Amino acid sequence: MKKTIIIIVAIFNNLLLITAMYSCQVSHKVISKSGVQLWAENCQRCHNTPSSASFSPEQWETIGMHMQTRSLITNEERNKIVEFLKQ
Amino acid sequence: MRSKRIVLGICLVAALTNRIPLYAQKTVVDSALLDRVSELEKQMASKKTGEDHFMVVGLTTVGFASNKTTNTLGGVSTSTKSNSFPDADNYEFSPMFLWRHGKSFLMEFEPSFNNNGLSVNWADISWFAAPALIVRAGYFVLPYGTYAKREAAGWINKLAPDPMGIADMTPTDYGVEVEGGIPVGSTKFSYDVALTNGNQLNPDGTLTSGNIVDNNNNKTITARVGFLPLSNSSLEVGISGMWGKVGDQGSPNQNIMDNSYAFDLNYVKMYSPILLNIKAQYNIQNIGNVNYISPVDSTQTYTFKNQTTASFVQCSLRPVGAAGFMKDLEIAGRYTVFNTPSNSTFGANQHDITVGLDYWLTWRTVFKICYQAYNGNSTASKTLSSFTGTTTSDTFFVQFSIQL
Repeated sequence: MKKTIIIIVAIFNNLLLITAMYSCQVSHKVISKSGVQLWAENCQRCHNTPSSASFSPEQWETIGMHMQTRSLITNEERNKIVEFLKQ
Repeated sequence: MRSKRIVLGICLVAALTNRIPLYAQKTVVDSALLDRVSELEKQMASKKTGEDHFMVVGLTTVGFASNKTTNTLGGVSTSTKSNSFPDADNYEFSPMFLWRHGKSFLMEFEPSFNNNGLSVNWADISWFAAPALIVRAGYFVLPYGTYAKREAAGWINKLAPDPMGIADMTPTDYGVEVEGGIPVGSTKFSYDVALTNGNQLNPDGTLTSGNIVDNNNNKTITARVGFLPLSNSSLEVGISGMWGKVGDQGSPNQNIMDNSYAFDLNYVKMYSPILLNIKAQYNIQNIGNVNYISPVDSTQTYTFKNQTTASFVQCSLRPVGAAGFMKDLEIAGRYTVFNTPSNSTFGANQHDITVGLDYWLTWRTVFKICYQAYNGNSTASKTLSSFTGTTTSDTFFVQFSIQL
């Protein structure tokens, strides 16, 4: 069992390393995503997509930081999602 | 000629008399506008938010559970029935306080009133040090799998009960943590590493967590790496590990290690008009060999392979693209397996199937009706008088959960 786990971890780590080596830069496809697109893709990974009317712009700033600590979305994603929700 | 001069004179006087009030009127309008602007500036200044922000959110989950349990031991079956408001394992009232200091610091504090009385879910401070670096310190949920940290809240969980063992094997502990999300090409990684006091070994071989005073000089490392291979973030897989000594300092067990691993998967994708949501996690916990004092005879010891596994697979479907009432419904099903060490005082092989129907009143308010069928076979030691036979139970849940 221990060997199996070590092998799985090693394969996973190699996969990560290979992917990182071959694609160090963020793709244009990802950079060009809008706040609304990122909101639709990322929030629903854990819960339903929130309504922008639920909180004030100041509150969305705070909630954005709280959510980033949980979901580990990137800074770029957080900023775009929060800007969308503040509208 | 003279009459012409008189007419011109009258016109000039008329023009002058008309213009003088016009100039006066313009001066009045400008002054009023300036006053208004000045007033608005004062109002804005009084409402200036500053760089700090404080808010209260939180959640509450209430419900009802009706249960029938049948235990068979030595060929004799005994049945018991119970029902209660609320479902004790899942009731909670948990306000969460969030303080933000600029865009670099965030304090989170979530006290909770639940079946354990008053407790604290987390109390920590996060420093957003760099784009992919958050440093946290305090009391927080460890990065072991994703269920406890992301999916356990009542308004997020698709089913009323938690999957057996999964959240219980994820400690909340005191320490420091670094984490972040990194975009690479069209994919994303996340990392989360925590250094904490660690679990403490109990006399029966179970563990307790959240000890503010460390029971040994060894710190526990818990780490998770997440990988989102698709550019739309629909799939995430993760590997976690937890390594640390659990025995008391100075005791014969002080070098006993807990080596635990977790594997998690999350897939959420729209197949119009259905939103498909698949979640899974597998936990395995290995604690080193220990000679435990027998609860039957304190002069004797016993040992067992202290390995615990817990896993679940969950699928839910919601027709978000449908019209009217249907789009707010969601069906969910989950299969859970939880095996505790055989020949211990608490060994059992257990599994359950849970199915449920959710009605979403808003994006963060849900009403659930669930049914759970449980089966457990005791593998506990007969010589320690811990064997409890076979247990089956049927439980019906009604639950309401809201995030505020």
